[in-house]
Amino acid sequence: MADGAMEQLPLPTSLAEVEAPNPPETISRIQEVLHRLQRSSEGWQLAQSLIAHREDNIRFYAALTLIIKLNRDSAGLSEDDASSLLENIIGWTIQALADGAGSFVVKKLCTALVTFFVHFSQLWPNCLRHFVYCLDLGRGSPLEGLDNALSTDLLVSKLDRRKLRLAIWFATTLVEEVGKTDMNAPKFAPLHDRLVKNGPDVVYLLARGFSPPDDNPGVKTQSDALTCFQRASHVPDLVAPLRQLVEPAINCFADEELFQPTAELFSDALSNYSSFFTPEHYATLATLFESDWAAAHYQRLLHGNHEEDGIAFGLLLLAYGDAKVQDLMRSTDPRSQQFLEKLSGLLAADGYLVGEDAIFVPALEFWSTFIETMIDSTYSDEEGTQSWKPFAEQHLKMVVMNSWRKIRWPPPNVFASWDSADRVAFGDARKDVADMLQSVFTLEGISLVAFFADLFLQALGAQSWTELEASAFCLGALADCVSDDSKYDQELSKIFSSPFFDLLGQAPGAIPLRLRQTGLGLIERYREYFERHAEYLPNALNLLFAALGDHILGGPAARSISTLCSSCRSILTSEAGAFIQHYQTIRDSQVLESLAEERIVLAIASIVQAINDEDQRLTMFESLYGILKKDFELAVQLQGQPGLLNLQQPDFLRGVDTSNPQTAAPTAENVSLNIALRSMRCLASMAKGMQDSKEYPVDLDSEPPALDPNGRLAALQTDILRVLIEIQRVFHTSGEVVEIICNIFRAGFSETLPGPFVFPPGAVTEYFVQQRFETARIGTLLSTACSFVGSLYRGPKVYVRPQLERLLPWVIAILQALPAPDADTEISVNGINFVDKVASKYLDILFQPHNSSLLEFFFLFSIKVLDGKDPLPKFASTEFWANFLSLKPSSADPSSPAFSIADTLTNAMTHLGPLVARSLVRNLSGHAARSEIDKLCEPLKRLVVTRPEAQEWLRAALLDDGCLLPGAAERVSAEERVAFLRKIVALRGARTTNQVAREFWMACRGAQFAYIS
Amino acid sequence: MTPVVEVTSGHRPAIPPTSPPNSSTLISPDKMSLCQNRLQEERKQWRKDHPFGFYAKPQKNAQGVLDLKVWECGIPGKEKTIWEGGLFKLIVTFPDEYPTKPPKCKFVPPLFHPNVYPSGTVCLSILNEEEAWKPAITIKQILLGVQDLLDDPNPESPAQAEAYNMYKRDRAQYERRIRQIVRENQAP
Repeated sequence: MADGAMEQLPLPTSLAEVEAPNPPETISRIQEVLHRLQRSSEGWQLAQSLIAHREDNIRFYAALTLIIKLNRDSAGLSEDDASSLLENIIGWTIQALADGAGSFVVKKLCTALVTFFVHFSQLWPNCLRHFVYCLDLGRGSPLEGLDNALSTDLLVSKLDRRKLRLAIWFATTLVEEVGKTDMNAPKFAPLHDRLVKNGPDVVYLLARGFSPPDDNPGVKTQSDALTCFQRASHVPDLVAPLRQLVEPAINCFADEELFQPTAELFSDALSNYSSFFTPEHYATLATLFESDWAAAHYQRLLHGNHEEDGIAFGLLLLAYGDAKVQDLMRSTDPRSQQFLEKLSGLLAADGYLVGEDAIFVPALEFWSTFIETMIDSTYSDEEGTQSWKPFAEQHLKMVVMNSWRKIRWPPPNVFASWDSADRVAFGDARKDVADMLQSVFTLEGISLVAFFADLFLQALGAQSWTELEASAFCLGALADCVSDDSKYDQELSKIFSSPFFDLLGQAPGAIPLRLRQTGLGLIERYREYFERHAEYLPNALNLLFAALGDHILGGPAARSISTLCSSCRSILTSEAGAFIQHYQTIRDSQVLESLAEERIVLAIASIVQAINDEDQRLTMFESLYGILKKDFELAVQLQGQPGLLNLQQPDFLRGVDTSNPQTAAPTAENVSLNIALRSMRCLASMAKGMQDSKEYPVDLDSEPPALDPNGRLAALQTDILRVLIEIQRVFHTSGEVVEIICNIFRAGFSETLPGPFVFPPGAVTEYFVQQRFETARIGTLLSTACSFVGSLYRGPKVYVRPQLERLLPWVIAILQALPAPDADTEISVNGINFVDKVASKYLDILFQPHNSSLLEFFFLFSIKVLDGKDPLPKFASTEFWANFLSLKPSSADPSSPAFSIADTLTNAMTHLGPLVARSLVRNLSGHAARSEIDKLCEPLKRLVVTRPEAQEWLRAALLDDGCLLPGAAERVSAEERVAFLRKIVALRGARTTNQVAREFWMACRGAQFAYIS
Repeated sequence: MTPVVEVTSGHRPAIPPTSPPNSSTLISPDKMSLCQNRLQEERKQWRKDHPFGFYAKPQKNAQGVLDLKVWECGIPGKEKTIWEGGLFKLIVTFPDEYPTKPPKCKFVPPLFHPNVYPSGTVCLSILNEEEAWKPAITIKQILLGVQDLLDDPNPESPAQAEAYNMYKRDRAQYERRIRQIVRENQAP
């Protein structure tokens, strides 16, 4: 169908077609035509001609057209036109009601009237009174007639129920739509004032709306009145008149049909506008909550079906509690106490969390607020004014007890039948309980620990597994509060010396999996306790080791072993050999999950680290290292001879990635790499475990002693390095291998005492300089070299210079190998950072004559990077230049090295200064992104402060149009640019420079800046 | 329709500052209470409604009293992404000028991700006062924004060279690395 033909279609047919099942393209084309008609100048006539149509859909469309026209074209209406339009719309609305049009049509016409009010409120200030007046007349009427009309309350009293309901719909839309506009905006302030002036009329209307419909029992208006009341309560200035309606609204609770909306209304107002209610209102509500009616609702809430009946009554109680929490907490009168009992009772409804019992979580939320309020008051109230506290604590006991009951796990088959949302919600609710218990601990301290310890022992004696699990969970939640303080040990010892741990050690299936999980978790959480009570440690560790093979418990058990061993390392040193033996035994019988194995190795290494006797320590180390070394040898061997692969052997199975089952059979190449990576990660864990956990006082004055590894340690280090290099050679394409090597190095860099991974600086340097641009992850190696320099600076000075002298040319050579400065972000960033680090302390090494060509390359490289677009290298370069420009190796003595460096620096800056100035100007003239301006200002400020020639360099760049962003020269005149320079120079590096630079950048970019960067 | 918060990482699009850049650093008592009230309200709203798998709670000081200005949060990796199964700890610190100024979000320990600085601080437009921060943005929106960022990094605003470089140059290795990180940070 052609467009023209479509437009000639009689409209009602088109509307019907939109509703009829048509292909989407037809519908959208019809809709397009309709929209065009609505927006056209004929829209008013269109609306008028359709408004009396017999079809509701067409009337609705007419009302919609009125709204669109009012919103688009009201400015074009004269006051007279607007007044007659208003009269018409009111007439149509009343007519629609009389004709029995659908409520959606009548409501849409109300919206059209409100739209009129929004645009012409000055013409219709008493809109509600006028509308009621017209309703009474039964037709639209001019505004003038209003002066001699009856008072509004009398007019309202004359309306029949259907007209009354229509008036309420209008009032509802009125408060809702005007309420959406910003009352603080000057444009809408008069509108709000006029709405507020209608407030008393809204109250007359609703007062009758809330009254029982004796005149016409078929038309109930209370529910509409409630809706209007709720919307109106959101408009702050209407609150005062509305208060008189609270009592009639409360009466709506009694009507079962109205209960739900009434409860929602009050919950909403109590939660969001608690000052809406007067003390008398609160008292009325409190009396209501004591009624038999409330008792029946409360019982249904505790024992009924939340999914079917809802929890509106419970939320109402909680909202009341929330609004009055301060008063309730401090009141010891029976009414308050009974009310709080009801609220703690909400934590004991029937059914499992959260799918069956929906009230627990909101109730817990209230109690968490209550507890926080108690904590605040405990610290802020004066002593002697806390007579309420024992009462409040009684309620807390119920809250704790009910929560403990509630978090019990359902039987596994029940849990498995829930959908994933319910399962997650169950776990979240348990976490909420854990949080709540930590808050209660702040108030109750040791008595809370004792409470759960008793529950734990009772449940253990009765073999009530779910209760035992819940008790263990609650004790676990308190671990962060009590674990590091020995004053709770007496209570904790009751648990850790109990037969519970024998139970955990029994074969799987003896007790539920959840209980084993929580029980083992308890050991990790209380690691500080085990540090103080070594007698329980072996038993605990045995349990954890026994769980390693379990596919659910294995991962958490390994983590527990590593934290426990790391914390308790010094009391476990005599067990190191047994642990290593145990590790070997496990490896012989099963393939542990890779991460679990790394954690075990870390655990053992941390024990080895704590052995005082060096010989013994190294013996243990070698024994653990020896296990891993065999893996490395196997990996290398397999890589060379793929035919060796035998997947029946556990040693090879270690190289099969079970977490990522592949469809294709694993190849020898794959397996060998995986074996290597897995053992490399274990070696990195060893390096981490060997880190000293003690903190030593830092003596800033004295020089740390040079490392002097004895022969045995040195040989070990040489061997480890040899293995690393060999693995890297064999698996030279693997970036992961390099990454792990870097992690191993880094673990040693942070150490101050000798150790197997604290390699001699010369050996580390030798390793680095053998790496080439082509080496996998060379950027990460450069970053590791930066960390190395940091560690050298913390160590004995004697090592620093020789390393830097070798590393600097290596680093710059790698930068030189880059095809372009932005070819590899990591290389550029770390290369620049490295030179920055050297320059900051050993400027003379930078300026050594044989480095001059390298250095020249570097300076130009860093300026290219500064001119580039890659943000991270650019930031590294701004930082380098900001630091470099701040260097001051000045000395008056021409024979001192500092003098010659100062001289070299000055010479260098003569060449570099203009280039840096040019790059900064180029960036600030708009080439840089807006977010880069602050960073670019740092070198700019340093340049201005430290270099007298800076002004000339900057002036030359600013006046060279070719240096600026294209178009900037036209937007910012040469005079303005010089004025910018003058400001920058006058500021002498002050913070305001950034603001000035930002304004300059904006001016250069012109109006479109916001869209470019 | 409620306004939708547009979340982009990093520094685009550049939106003019929402408040004068040189606003006074002196905090009036009103501002302090504005900050505290808003955080109380945020806490209330979070308790009422928070996305599954996330957690967010103010830290406690030595006496056990809540410090509303420092929150400890957990961001789960999104389902059906390489981040699924992981849970990452984020410390959110609110300045005195909140909600005029945005909070600072920091992964602890620092996370391997193109838009996370080596310090752990997250680079995200809605967390930048000079970009998309609006006082109406809620904690829930922030945390969901950070979760979105995990699997949808913004290469235009890199914050760390290592992850950014690997993301750009070797996606397969990047994904292997993320899987490894997820394994080390399993959600309980």
